[in-house]
Amino acid sequence: MSVVAKMDHAQFRLIIPSQTRYLNLVTGLAKRASLVAGMDDATAAKVSIAVDEAVTNVIIHAYHGEGEHSVELELRFTDTALEIHIWHSGQGIRGDQMVLPDPKEYIKHPRKGGLGLLLMSRFMDEVQFKADEVSGRNECCLIKKIS
Amino acid sequence: MADLSIAVRQVGEVAVLLPTGFINAHTVREFEEALEGLVQGGRYTILLNCKDLNYISSAGLGAIMGLIETVREHGGDILLSNLQDNVFAIFDTLGFTQLYRVFGEEEQALAATAPGQKG
Repeated sequence: MSVVAKMDHAQFRLIIPSQTRYLNLVTGLAKRASLVAGMDDATAAKVSIAVDEAVTNVIIHAYHGEGEHSVELELRFTDTALEIHIWHSGQGIRGDQMVLPDPKEYIKHPRKGGLGLLLMSRFMDEVQFKADEVSGRNECCLIKKIS
Repeated sequence: MADLSIAVRQVGEVAVLLPTGFINAHTVREFEEALEGLVQGGRYTILLNCKDLNYISSAGLGAIMGLIETVREHGGDILLSNLQDNVFAIFDTLGFTQLYRVFGEEEQALAATAPGQKG
């Protein structure tokens, strides 16, 4: 029998103003975190895009483009996955409101918008939306498993 | 380095647009303005050479989608070339490689737009 020390879960937080100028900073961090978690370059790039889409949704839709709010991100490294939790106090979206466009219909009838959620769901293993009624905050949780 | 810079040059009937950097919600207006400027100037065949494009989010995809019908109605098209792997993954994941003609190299795209080669 061998004993393997269990890796302590690590997590840290970043709070940014609700401004798109910081998107590049956040996606760069997400990509680096994915590499640290053991993902390859291609997977890390997909995680960074999913985070871009999630934070953009918060800034543009939850906060309606108002730049004086804050977006809080927490990266959690577990033994099996990288979890990215994104909190905000703007307008929330429930899981049952997450309607994904059909790519085939999109191709037949090209139009702007609606692709962010689709990219998030395709590039991550889990996408969850939660609301905390006590604090009034909303959360988007992105999970990418480490294979 | 700026998040996005865009160079445009004309090669015959084709406007070649070279974005360098990132197209996301922060930079998309600049990208849209470049595309709209070409269309308003009557240049309906547009090649996006993406060799220096590090990534494009749905905001950028929307900008392209918003003009594809207009350019095709005028007999033009939007073509893509030199996609980096992660950018190709975005287009391919969404099925957009069926909507746009994608080429490995700019020269191949230009050859495909030569008279008698369209479609």
